[in-house]
Amino acid sequence: MSGIAYTRDHEVVQRLRPEPMTEAEIAAQALIDDVEFDIYKHKMHMIALEGKETTMKLGASTAMRWGDVAFGIFTAQGDLAVCATGIYHHAVLGQLPLKYIVKHWVNEPSVGVRDGDSFFYNDPFYGGVHNADMGLAVPVFHEGRLMCFIGAAVHTGEAGGTEPGGTCNTAKTKYDEGLLVPPIKIGENYQLREDILNMFAAMTRDARTMILDIKARLAAARIAQRRVLEVIDDKGPDFFIGALRRILTQTGEAARRRVAELNDGVYRQPRFLDTVGTDPGLTKINLTVIKKGDRITMDFENSSPLVEDRPINSFFQGILGLSCVYYCGWLFHDLPANNGLLEAIDWRFPDDAMVNAKGDASTSLAPLVQTCFTQGIFLAGARMTYSYDSSRSVAAWFSGFAIPTFGGLNQYGEGVADITPEINATGCGARPDMDGVNAAGAFFATMSDCSDVEATEADRPFLYTFRNFFNNSYGHGAHRGGSGVGFGLMVHDTQKFMLGSMGGGSRFPTTLGLFGGYAVPPVFVRTVMNSNLKELLAHSDARLPHNLAEVMAPDNPEQGDCQDNDVSMVVKPFNDGDTYYVAIGGGGGYGDPLERDPRSVLKDLRENLVSHWAARNIYRIAYDEASLRLDEDATRARRLAAREERKRRGKSYDEFARGWATQSPPKEALRYFGAWPNPRDGMAPPAARVVNG
Amino acid sequence: MTKVRITEYLDIALDSEHWCCNRCGHALGSARENYKHGCLVAERALEEVHPPLVEGGSYSFTPDSRYCRLVEFYCPNCGTMLENEYLPPGHPLTHEIELDIDALKRRHGVSA
Repeated sequence: MSGIAYTRDHEVVQRLRPEPMTEAEIAAQALIDDVEFDIYKHKMHMIALEGKETTMKLGASTAMRWGDVAFGIFTAQGDLAVCATGIYHHAVLGQLPLKYIVKHWVNEPSVGVRDGDSFFYNDPFYGGVHNADMGLAVPVFHEGRLMCFIGAAVHTGEAGGTEPGGTCNTAKTKYDEGLLVPPIKIGENYQLREDILNMFAAMTRDARTMILDIKARLAAARIAQRRVLEVIDDKGPDFFIGALRRILTQTGEAARRRVAELNDGVYRQPRFLDTVGTDPGLTKINLTVIKKGDRITMDFENSSPLVEDRPINSFFQGILGLSCVYYCGWLFHDLPANNGLLEAIDWRFPDDAMVNAKGDASTSLAPLVQTCFTQGIFLAGARMTYSYDSSRSVAAWFSGFAIPTFGGLNQYGEGVADITPEINATGCGARPDMDGVNAAGAFFATMSDCSDVEATEADRPFLYTFRNFFNNSYGHGAHRGGSGVGFGLMVHDTQKFMLGSMGGGSRFPTTLGLFGGYAVPPVFVRTVMNSNLKELLAHSDARLPHNLAEVMAPDNPEQGDCQDNDVSMVVKPFNDGDTYYVAIGGGGGYGDPLERDPRSVLKDLRENLVSHWAARNIYRIAYDEASLRLDEDATRARRLAAREERKRRGKSYDEFARGWATQSPPKEALRYFGAWPNPRDGMAPPAARVVNG
Repeated sequence: MTKVRITEYLDIALDSEHWCCNRCGHALGSARENYKHGCLVAERALEEVHPPLVEGGSYSFTPDSRYCRLVEFYCPNCGTMLENEYLPPGHPLTHEIELDIDALKRRHGVSA
């Protein structure tokens, strides 16, 4: 094995930007006509899109079936030139395993890379996010020459470890996380190795899903391989490799031109998490965005140190990957989603930081760390771009996950382990010209869907007691965030079914508003063991709760051992009839709520998308509750009075800051934070290590 | 006077190098400093914005005040909420936009 043997390769993960052009790629540029290039780009994108759709159609896991899929075509050096996905982090991270394969296996006699091979990987050190994200890639040869790779990265919701469902709140080191596979050959001569599949199945809880997902990725890749070979036959191999590389070059050039249009300056957005997995505690991701000329630098100095013995850490490459949810989706929304975009981005991470994990540290909750950061770059980005194009300014959306994770025997006695799909039902952040879209998706999975409840009920031992909008799930504002959903699950026809939750934000909201818009409220999980809900259902009791607000109401007739839990909830056993309730957050608000059109508030009241409490106390409108008729004069007066209240309440900045600075969180909340309030004060060495910049 | 829109509620008057409230035009201080220095600032009770839906529980849809506080920034003239911040108690207020004013003036053809 060339390079560093039998340990993680820290060199290859630095190569996030496109590799230098090869001599063949340079020579091929002269062959490429602009019109033919456009036709080629479109064709290649259609091949990738077909691959994504095929993967979804054939997959078994929740995420694969509902769109958590990235399908791409990589250069022979491993750069991801063409990618079909709404999971934009994969558009820049998906290449790292390929670069590993090129570096380590092409010239390794005991492995090699040959026509008919297939490779698997799920070590997040190379994929960047977490080990539930698993990938498969195949090389494409033409007359014996390696032309490109084709691959699919998909979230398969079970990866072994201390808890089912792909994330482990209790993990203390990487060895608690389960399956962690660096790129490995799993097929030769167009055949998968059954002994290796057998090993994967033995190391995870849901063997059927694990194997079906691998075969789905491979089948889609083989279809795309046929299509690509047709293109090569049509255009010629030199045109093909030159044009594939040109996509990356053009993307980088366009990204730099876009960045040059933005105002130079420094944009700051500190982010706070309130859980480390098994226990509460504050940590800080200190994001500073420096925009100068045609470059954006993301600096993380003074972020909390690595959290030892807890899973709330991320590799730096995962943070960079998630930044592309913003870059691909908002700033560069009209450019190809590939790692050429990073030609406009620099980054600086301190060593020994929760956003730059090293050694054997667990990163099982890295998705939570990364989304918390990403919501910050949406806010910093909104301030950076408003002057250039206000439509690019959007409040944060999603929430701190709140994913039910589960494992056990389903109603047919089969082993299942996964997540439910409601993370794809969060509401969008509000925008300058509109409310956030209700139950739109996940901000990092924009092409994904939350499925019908019946599809989930078909092979999971759940009965949804309801799933609908929850009017306390978004942030208020002149434009409100899109509503998220609340839902209830009743476990049935099984016993000792393990059910937990992954997420953050039970104490400190993760999803913030913009320009005076409010945050998404905290979320938590309610569980009721020994519930009487089945009995109430059997008697068609009309008082059954139909939404999350009714679950929380004092007159809810459900009885049992009720407990409210942190949204970061270690799995516990549920028996037949036990229930579980949670809200999936919506979007943050945009602008001062006193500027919201009163007619929009009334429309929301008619549709039960806002409470009367919020209409009166946040939006300050005056209306008749029975008829929902607006009193315009009284509304005007109430809002004017609210502004006067603010002016009486407000202090000068200096006076406020003096009193404010005397406070701090309690000591137990700062156990993992580092020095207060600047986590790295006193740490040596003081200077940030420049990872790339 | 050349004004440039920076955010929903903030303009910069390039000639005088001042932040201004976009709604009423009130000057909020030097554009080379944090615009929040020119705001009225108040901490809001969390329950006034995020009411508890669970009586007396440790989880209630209201942020935990030991971990999180809500600070609001108002225009001193018109009372518009220009921004708010959710911060741990006592955490320094954020200087969130620090523009290169000389570069901004060059971009808009105003002499430095």
